[in-house]
Amino acid sequence: MFSDVTTRVYDPALRKPADGAAAADLASQMPRLVARAREIAASLAYGVHGRKRAGVGETFWQYRPFASGEAAYRIDWRRSARGDQLYVREREWEAAHDYFLWMDCSPSMAFGSSLASDDKLSRAVTLGLALADVLVRGGERAAALGLTAPVSARDVIDRLARALAENAMEAARDDLPPQAPMRPRARVVLISDFLVEPDALAARLRRFADAGASGAILMVTDPSEETLPFFGETTFVDTDGGPAFYAGDARSLRAAYARRFEAHRDAIRRAAQHVGFIFLQHRTDRPAAEAALALAMGLLGTDGLGFEERR
Amino acid sequence: MFSFAAPLALVGLIGLPLIYWLLRVTPPRPREIVFPPTKILRELKPDEETPAKTPWWLMALRLALAAALILAMAGPVWAPSGVVASSASMLIVIDDGWPAAPTWERRVAGAASIIESAARAGGPVAVALASETAAPVPGDGGRAMEKLRSARPKPFLPDRKAIGEQAAAFARAHPGARIVWISDGIAQGDAAGFARALKEAGASSVEVYVEDHAPRALAAPTNDAAALSVDVLRTGDDASAVIDALDAKGRTIGRTTADFNGAPRVRAKIELPVELRNEVSHLRIEGENSAGAVALLDARSKVKRVALVGGESADQAQPLLSPLYYLEKALAPFAQIRVARPGVVDPVQALLAENPNIMALADVGLAPGETFDALSRFVEEGGTLVRFAGPRLANADDELLPVRLRRNGRVLGGAMSWEEPKSLAEFDAASPFFGLPAAKDVTVQRQVLAEPDPGLADKTWARLSDGTPLVTAERRGKGLIVLFHVNADANWSNLPISGLFVEMLKRISAMAGESAPSGGEQSNMVAEQSALAPMRILDGFGGLGAPGPTAQSIPPGFEGPASAEHPPGLYGAGEAFVSVQTLRPTDEISAFNFAGAGLSATALRSGSQLDLRGPLLAFALIAFIADALIAMALAGKLRLRPFGAATAALLALLCMSAATDETRAESAPKSAATQRDKDVALTTRLAYVVSGDAHIDETSRLGLEALTQALNMRTSFSPGDPVGVDPAKDELAFYPMLYWPIVASAPQPSTKTVAKVAAYMKQGGTVVFDTRDALSQRIGGAPTPETQWLRDLTKGLDIPPLEVTPRDHVITKTFYLLDGFVGRYANGETWVEALPPEPKDQAARPVRATDSVSAIVITSNDLAAAWAQDKRGQPLFPLTPGGARQRELALRGGINLVMYTLTGNYKSDQVHVRDLLERLGQ
Repeated sequence: MFSDVTTRVYDPALRKPADGAAAADLASQMPRLVARAREIAASLAYGVHGRKRAGVGETFWQYRPFASGEAAYRIDWRRSARGDQLYVREREWEAAHDYFLWMDCSPSMAFGSSLASDDKLSRAVTLGLALADVLVRGGERAAALGLTAPVSARDVIDRLARALAENAMEAARDDLPPQAPMRPRARVVLISDFLVEPDALAARLRRFADAGASGAILMVTDPSEETLPFFGETTFVDTDGGPAFYAGDARSLRAAYARRFEAHRDAIRRAAQHVGFIFLQHRTDRPAAEAALALAMGLLGTDGLGFEERR
Repeated sequence: MFSFAAPLALVGLIGLPLIYWLLRVTPPRPREIVFPPTKILRELKPDEETPAKTPWWLMALRLALAAALILAMAGPVWAPSGVVASSASMLIVIDDGWPAAPTWERRVAGAASIIESAARAGGPVAVALASETAAPVPGDGGRAMEKLRSARPKPFLPDRKAIGEQAAAFARAHPGARIVWISDGIAQGDAAGFARALKEAGASSVEVYVEDHAPRALAAPTNDAAALSVDVLRTGDDASAVIDALDAKGRTIGRTTADFNGAPRVRAKIELPVELRNEVSHLRIEGENSAGAVALLDARSKVKRVALVGGESADQAQPLLSPLYYLEKALAPFAQIRVARPGVVDPVQALLAENPNIMALADVGLAPGETFDALSRFVEEGGTLVRFAGPRLANADDELLPVRLRRNGRVLGGAMSWEEPKSLAEFDAASPFFGLPAAKDVTVQRQVLAEPDPGLADKTWARLSDGTPLVTAERRGKGLIVLFHVNADANWSNLPISGLFVEMLKRISAMAGESAPSGGEQSNMVAEQSALAPMRILDGFGGLGAPGPTAQSIPPGFEGPASAEHPPGLYGAGEAFVSVQTLRPTDEISAFNFAGAGLSATALRSGSQLDLRGPLLAFALIAFIADALIAMALAGKLRLRPFGAATAALLALLCMSAATDETRAESAPKSAATQRDKDVALTTRLAYVVSGDAHIDETSRLGLEALTQALNMRTSFSPGDPVGVDPAKDELAFYPMLYWPIVASAPQPSTKTVAKVAAYMKQGGTVVFDTRDALSQRIGGAPTPETQWLRDLTKGLDIPPLEVTPRDHVITKTFYLLDGFVGRYANGETWVEALPPEPKDQAARPVRATDSVSAIVITSNDLAAAWAQDKRGQPLFPLTPGGARQRELALRGGINLVMYTLTGNYKSDQVHVRDLLERLGQ
């Protein structure tokens, strides 16, 4: 007679419980998320290390003997003065990209159901932080879109986590990725449930593309959002403040809803692919590492690992 | 019938339709779910709408809830007594004479329910007993109940005059008062006057309640020469009454059934041999526990004491020559014989000091003097003097003879006479000996002759065939003088060695009235004025007990009626007591005609009132919870696990299967030995019978645990943990001893169970029945419920003759040397299987035992409660009279019991161990 699927929701920004949950804002959850992000990043680190070789860069790489025919300005006189041989100071080859990560903190993300252990926001933040760590270890620089500048520090997780927790209030206002100054060829990673108008998202993505950015979209979905596992007389309350929806019998809506949801996802996918973004989707009842690996591979190159883009 | 304390609240029922309408338009809230993709949902058009209406069953539930609440507000009361509650002050007059005693419990229960209803309505209640004279004091229900509970039926019929006046005064003092009369339905005791007083008292209502029981009574018991007879009275239409003749110890000696044949009063005869008849101490109508149904027999119908004095010095070597020898032989079957010790100077005086009923003088001539005066006084005060002729008497005439005698008498058939020995003539109708066959073989050779004075014929009880008197008698004062004109030995006649002689003495003995209240000169003088102090007094239920504080001495010759000052019972002291009967010989009892007095009597229904508020409120609460649950479920707030229903179904199934298992187990108890049986078979342990009363069972368990501990510590026997057994279900064969505390409220076990217990006892098991009622037992009173329960149970058991544990029974010596078995109480007797009588020819053994263990031990001392202790070893129950010594003795008794069941008569041989060792040493 009764549905066994329950849902939970909280306010990601306010520092007080909204639905009876114990830890009900992002800041209080952050330590847990950081720890999990480190775990996931550690499990991914094996395949995506940086390319340690000399090249165009700013940091010192090595001294090598001067070869005749080279331009004389390249000689490092300070080193060469110590001995008889002339040395050239080489800098490391740096091809670091700036990765701008956006984890959606809008109210609709702070939702989970009894079908999955995590709510969408926790999962999105975990994935984002883990990805940032993987990227930094891989020699890239990571930033929280609109919150921080790209860094390649080893404590990138902590920095991003702090920035997210501090700015959750502002970030919660918008369910579209913010515009931020970024260098050309920067990468943008957007993690959200994308329960937005596909057209609005497409417009925002186009602007990223205009700025020369490419990237990936990870659509995080709760299982209950895909299947609508409810029945009976039900009033559905919107998290974003829209009007409630009354259903005489929720079960009868299930098929129509599933079709409609799939159509929405397709629209998001089309919007992403239109601007050359990779589209990935993730359901919160799946392991987080799976999505993290997919993201990392999708961004850093699959290198023939045989990893396919998840549809 | 139903009544409402606040009927106005029922108006609220009008509001039910409003509630109905409100419920119809406010359906339960739908379930609410926060759902982010609601936007997407909104783009769908819902294709099904649930009707926005409350389900009918939910509506019915809510309406029922509201109705229950309103009804509960109205305070409904179910009153089986039929008494309508009202807040007017109420006077309850309860007849507490003996006719109320048989139904006393029901009367008290009925009165209690009336008090309860009155107290609930808030009116003051006064309880008055018909025997009271004090003004009734109205108070709250608690005080009235207290008084009701403390009331006991009185052993007499109270005169209702005083209480009638008090009731009238009560009605005047409390206008609008209601008077309730719980009547015994007996007209005697001024019922008509009382009814009139009630009618004229001006009370708002007079309600009369009666119990459906027509009392029966006994009056005028006599123990005459032929039979023990008593008047049986009835007020109802009982066809017959069974009358038991009981001895002083309460054993039934005789029994007869009196058929009324339509008459209100019949005379019942109990045919018993004189010897047994003298043992009868009181008569009782079976099944009628009231003082009126008991008739007391006093010393006047007791065994007569006969003092024998012979004229010549007794020659011990030749007893056949002594006349006293024949007298003794003839009197011995029915009389107590007193003979002066040899060497006493004045045997007559000495024997008179022993208060004999009959003084038999065999050929004693009485010279005027102290002895003569004492004898005269004895006769004047009611003593019977029986004299036998002889050579001395024939020559010495005196005043203490019924007739004047001629000198020397006559000799018949002797060597100097031509006359033949004479035989006896038939007895006259006026003679007390009438009816006895005049034995033809009795002949008289010699006799003393009476002077033919006028009136001699009237004084003659027996005569010879030629008309000469053989036995003459005369009343003198209150007493009687009887003269046998022959010798008491076989010299003059063979009458003293004939059976007729015995019969004649019996008749005389039966005629002999009570002896003088006390012998001796000084006490005689005192007895003239002194009253008889109450000795044993009947209570209202017909049990004999110690006299109460109101009982006063009766003057000599008190004829009744019985009253509070002179309750029925036995008065006097020692052996010479007189009885005061509940009913005088002329008393009648009859049913009171209430209709004739303008009152209508209704049957008193006991059973307390049922306040329906509680059940109604409970129902409302349950309905409310159910409604809340349903509302939550409909709103989606209640989340039952999907397997919740399945679990419930599974549980229900399990319960059902368990139940069927149980029934199966009951239907086939011997199907297989249970695991428990296997366990208990391996370790010997004590067991108690589960009574069903949790408190008693816990006491039994703790008691046996303590006993088990004591056995472990003190003896070589280490029993396992005690277990409770249900004789209906469990196998009993594993337990050497079964402790069975009797709970009167428990249902009687089935015949099958009783047969099982009987088989257990036959096979060597011992059942210790503990009625736990030593404090409430009344000797001679009605049996306590526990005793009655045990009696009912033992009807199905083959119980051997029982006796109170003798001091030399082996059970008192199996481990400790004990005097008896005490428990929580120390005054109850412990009964065991009777031992065979001690063989006379052997030397007294210090201990006796039967061949087997007594299968039954009955005690009333509540053993387990004395043993029971908590985990810290602290005793759980106070003892009566109390003390650590008693507890220790109780434990020792328990150890002895267990040892007895385990070792049987082994210890009876053990007592010889010292002798055996001595012999071995030599």
